[in-house]
Amino acid sequence: MSDIESRIADTMLAKLRERDPSLGPDALTRPVGELDLDSLDLVELHQQLERELQVKGDLKETAGFAFLDEFTAYFVKLANRG
Amino acid sequence: MSAGIVDIATAKPGRRIDNDHFASIGLTDEWIRRRSGIGSRSWLPDETPLADVAAEACAPIVTRTDDPSSIDALIVVSTSVRQRIPGVAQKVARLAGLAPSVMALDMNAACCGFVYGLVTGVSLCDAGQARQVLVCSVEAMSRMVDRMDRQTACLFGDGSAAVLLADRTDFGGCCRVAGCDGSQASLMRETGAGGIALDGMQVYDRAVRRMSESAQYLFDHGPAPTVLVGHQANSRILEQVRSFSAHLDVPFVNRIENSGNTSSASIPLAFAAELDAGALPATGRLGAVAYGAGEAWGGVAVDYRLPAVPAS
Repeated sequence: MSDIESRIADTMLAKLRERDPSLGPDALTRPVGELDLDSLDLVELHQQLERELQVKGDLKETAGFAFLDEFTAYFVKLANRG
Repeated sequence: MSAGIVDIATAKPGRRIDNDHFASIGLTDEWIRRRSGIGSRSWLPDETPLADVAAEACAPIVTRTDDPSSIDALIVVSTSVRQRIPGVAQKVARLAGLAPSVMALDMNAACCGFVYGLVTGVSLCDAGQARQVLVCSVEAMSRMVDRMDRQTACLFGDGSAAVLLADRTDFGGCCRVAGCDGSQASLMRETGAGGIALDGMQVYDRAVRRMSESAQYLFDHGPAPTVLVGHQANSRILEQVRSFSAHLDVPFVNRIENSGNTSSASIPLAFAAELDAGALPATGRLGAVAYGAGEAWGGVAVDYRLPAVPAS
């Protein structure tokens, strides 16, 4: 796992643990629909990833993601674009 | 010398509506609190004229003023006043006891209205065009929403608050930033069927960004505010702005739990509630930031020194 991927995973896990502190890293592979996240949680996750990586994403794209893996791929691409 | 806030008063008549009220449309207290932080809100009776409610907020200030005729302008801010002819401000002026020489006007910038009104009022004072200006926000958002709409019915509340603006030799200058982006007007709008439609995720995202940026501007371009009050739209938005603004190291007001979103009235109502709770000193510098339909956004910072009387 690259440094960027690790920071993304930490940010996402911190967000998930706001709702369920017992969750471990395996939660990051589950579908968004199976997690206790509402639509505003997804906006908060999007904004927190932007802050962590100092990038600007497009909420219209990330709002439709069904898996957290998609957030990872999207934000890795943004971060690497620089 | 510059203008700032020298008095404040509020009016929240009406019925207290707690979250159990929305069980009939399938919403629970837990669900509403999680998504908005709102526990209850005040709703005015449908027949109560908004001019009466605004006058209830303004009258104590007029009474406390040594010379009411020195209030040269009244700005009544509202997005929920339905009557356009005549405007509501002239009626409020009469009911509140203002002199016939007052220039009274209506203003609407949705949830950003109080910021726009404050900027306008301070500008009139600073330009020497008014000795004192009364800015009053009054809203009955309960009349705007579809009360059967699960997305919006529980979010809004009613109320009114007024502030008196006047020059003081020791007040620092007003700092303001404001703008609008009409291309985003569809994010929050009245529906043809009677109700309000919100694009929740986009509104959340843009509100956090706009209010955080406005707060930063106020700190970068003038004396630092001693308290920051954001438009009380949703506790989740407020807490995200608080997080984004943590480096500013300033008290940030979140009083939405017992008020709901009262649109343009939310900032002065929250400010007054914080003062009445003893959480703020009677002298300081208010930073107010807002985001609303239009989309209209902005921030303003002004000094305040208030009399030792309850605002609510």
